[in-house]
Amino acid sequence: MRIEELNSELIFTGLEAENSDAVMEWMGREFVRQGYTKDSYVAALLAREKEYPTGLDLGQGNICAAIPHTDAEHVIKPGTGIGILKHPVSFHVMGGDEEELVQVSVVFMLAIKDPGKQLDRLQNIIGIIQDQKLLRELSKASSKEEVLKCLHQL
Amino acid sequence: MKKKVIVCCGGAVATSTIAANKVVELCRNNGIDIELCQCRINEIASNLPADLIVPTSKVKQDYGVPLITAMPFISGIGVEKTEKAILKVLKGE
Repeated sequence: MRIEELNSELIFTGLEAENSDAVMEWMGREFVRQGYTKDSYVAALLAREKEYPTGLDLGQGNICAAIPHTDAEHVIKPGTGIGILKHPVSFHVMGGDEEELVQVSVVFMLAIKDPGKQLDRLQNIIGIIQDQKLLRELSKASSKEEVLKCLHQL
Repeated sequence: MKKKVIVCCGGAVATSTIAANKVVELCRNNGIDIELCQCRINEIASNLPADLIVPTSKVKQDYGVPLITAMPFISGIGVEKTEKAILKVLKGE
């Protein structure tokens, strides 16, 4: 992944949260604070996640991820946040049944302004998600630098 | 005749963009001419008729149109099976 595509100020490691809402609120507020999104982003993110969950079941025993995001109207400038959780939290499964949960260790939070223009970035994220070895390495990263190091191998 | 494929997700911004790209590529590689429509799940009805719906989220309603989940394009698990199923519908085999 090219270095200019990563927003290193949106990379967070060692996150401790009780549940998925807390993770999304915390990361979402950082997007707002740093001027990536409008104030409305956090509430919109949580509402969207309830209706259309983004937890990804990447197979039993594997590291799983989630990709919370919401409408472009809440976005000021595009950004990709990466949150490495100290302990996995439950997310509902994208495309799954209501009771289906997955234990998520890595959160990719997306602020998308123009999907067409951000296709490369989206595909990069999907590429990471589909690379279990890399995702596992990423889940163990304990600093921004370690995250960047993992991703620059791409 | 051109087949119409609806690719959809919750907000038509992220996962459906990935899925749409995959569907277009798959069809191009197999010489199938399609009209692609990318929309939100709640906009499916207004975009019918179609030959196939490929959603990344759960679709609760039955639109009387074949429906194949695009989740494998996101998770990377079961991609081949999904591609075969899509081709089968579009080729009308």
